[in-house]
Amino acid sequence: MDQKRRKLLQAIGGTGVMAAAQPWMSAPAFAQNTPVRVGIIAPKAGIAGTIGECGLRGTQFAVDHINATGGIAGRKIELLIEEETNPKDSIERLRKLVLQDKVDCVQGIVSSGVSLAMGPVAEDMKALVIFWDGTTQDGVKETMPSKRYVFCSTDNECEAVMGSLLAIKHWKGQFKTVAGINPDYSYGRNNFAAFQALLKKYNVEHQVVADQWPKVGTTDLNSHVAALKAAKPDLVFSSLLFADLPIFMRTAHGAGLMDGKTKFVFPAAGFQHTALKKSFTPPGMIFGHNTLYFDYAKGSDLQKQFVKWYHDKFNDYPNWEADRAFFAMAVYKAGVEAAHKAKGGWPGKEDIISAMEGVKVQSLGGPGQMRKDHIAEQTFYQGITTHDNKYDFPTLGTVDVMYSDQLQKGTGQDFWKWIETANIKL
Amino acid sequence: MTALLDILIGGVFHAAVLFLVAAGLQLVFGVQKIVNLACGSFYALGAYFGITAVSWCLAHGMPPGLFLPVLVVAGLAIGLIGPFIEALLLTVYHRDEAFQLLLTFALVLMFQDILRFFWGADPQQLGDLVMTYGRVKMGAVQVPTYNLLVIVASIAIAVGLGAFLKKTRYGRILRATAENREMSLALGVNVRWMYASVFTLGTILGTVGGALVVPTAAASLDMPVELVVEAFAVVVIGGLGSMRGAMVGALIVGLMRAAAISWYSELEMLAIYLVVIVVLIARPGGLFGKPLE
Repeated sequence: MDQKRRKLLQAIGGTGVMAAAQPWMSAPAFAQNTPVRVGIIAPKAGIAGTIGECGLRGTQFAVDHINATGGIAGRKIELLIEEETNPKDSIERLRKLVLQDKVDCVQGIVSSGVSLAMGPVAEDMKALVIFWDGTTQDGVKETMPSKRYVFCSTDNECEAVMGSLLAIKHWKGQFKTVAGINPDYSYGRNNFAAFQALLKKYNVEHQVVADQWPKVGTTDLNSHVAALKAAKPDLVFSSLLFADLPIFMRTAHGAGLMDGKTKFVFPAAGFQHTALKKSFTPPGMIFGHNTLYFDYAKGSDLQKQFVKWYHDKFNDYPNWEADRAFFAMAVYKAGVEAAHKAKGGWPGKEDIISAMEGVKVQSLGGPGQMRKDHIAEQTFYQGITTHDNKYDFPTLGTVDVMYSDQLQKGTGQDFWKWIETANIKL
Repeated sequence: MTALLDILIGGVFHAAVLFLVAAGLQLVFGVQKIVNLACGSFYALGAYFGITAVSWCLAHGMPPGLFLPVLVVAGLAIGLIGPFIEALLLTVYHRDEAFQLLLTFALVLMFQDILRFFWGADPQQLGDLVMTYGRVKMGAVQVPTYNLLVIVASIAIAVGLGAFLKKTRYGRILRATAENREMSLALGVNVRWMYASVFTLGTILGTVGGALVVPTAAASLDMPVELVVEAFAVVVIGGLGSMRGAMVGALIVGLMRAAAISWYSELEMLAIYLVVIVVLIARPGGLFGKPLE
């Protein structure tokens, strides 16, 4: 009995050694017949729930599109979806996806709080992770300058930089007193600071007469609006972006803050664009739609196809999170296929990562690429709003388009020094 | 002057909302001696149910101008869950305060999941309905008429509640029960029914408050905790169990918050709880509460 068992084990062991010694004999067949497993971690609840949902729809569109056109180097994509919550639990879900579900790649993450914590863990696990909207910046400072396995979105401040530039371009000389109402965490604080730094850079004389910092989730903004009104600013800069933005708009409109000549800059309004109804959102404001402006007349056929699919399926219009999700999948596909072509067979993780560095893709919102330092470059859309459209919410009357190499610091640069020295065309 | 009036109105509006939640808390504690952490959940429930009721009525052809009575009816209707919740509290009436707090905190968590189950995790809003009644202009000051209606409604409820507790037979019995439960029992008062009705009244104050305020804000899963934190400041400042204290406490908290936001917005909570600490040191029972022995 013991001898029989030993022989059986030897036979199994021998087969294993042979397979290990000659991976080319079985690996390609295995690769072609099994799907590429992609894990997604996205918020489904809470203040970022709708944003996560939009991202998931962008992923679904990307996967349907890729699978219908031959998959990634011949292999279809299989999605495994987990929920993004707090950093600790989200990291546990990353571990599950990588260790238990054995996914080839993980994508997702909207909150920078989560991505900041998840980055080092992913590096430690050697897990290939592409963040949709998350960075590894602590405020504006990069915490992982030489990451290998983690790929990040564009810097959070891109939209603030673009909104500030447009305010200067369109309204320089028309405002002196400025006020801010921004969310009370590093995103809001950095955005308002970036706005002021750019005003200084372009010699725009100004005086900050009020700065309001409502906590995320505040539902009564009457006192904040009263404080803004009391300060009588010529221009209000606000990077509110969650459900508090429509509340602010409604409250400000009700209190008459929008009746005068005050100008408004909302670099992140695109997250809530369909909730900002015309009845309480006057035209003539600067709105940021980040990397996807759904109504862009010069948008690609891909974008138009997506917007139609989205509207037909969900009776809604997408925000930029859909583009971030699509971009992540497109970068992964491009990386795998480039490595596959170079190797002449299914590539390993290290080959894919190397191929993703510098890869250029066409995302929903336009061209983009993954920098060699694993930070994305994408196309941004902002402009001045109009009511002259078929919707019940404002759209952009004039659309400004900028590529993010004009909006974010270069590899290893300090953000504030970059603002001072960057040669940005207005 | 205009700026001051703007800030004042913002503060009074917030106070009006806080009063409705704190009044329910005070009423229940005054009579049943239970610190009901779930009062914020009733407020959120009223807000969500109000949105559903108004959306349904609008979808069935109701003129937008009628949304206010619909909200009041929705708040009153959903407040009728009070007796069922009160039945749960039966088990802790004679137990340590810690058990009461634990049970009502459990209710907060359970309600959060119930709200998530029925309405989802996304914040719910009523669009621009709040502007249906237009704006009132007082010089350079502009206020949505609806905000003034909420303030008036809150004052009316405060006056009505005061008169109800002082002038009616039920109110006198209720105050007597609050003063001495055993004596009321000995005199034949149906204390069981009294407790159920008081708890329901407290619940209705919360649900009507939530329903009334939702057109100006949004219904979200974070509402209960957000409100309870401030409602407890109101109660400590005003004095636990005192209705007048709830009114004055709400005004102090509302105005302090508005002032802090105007002059140094980071200190919003600090300013409120600074008053709480001063009151606790100088008058531990609260401004209108019974002095602690």
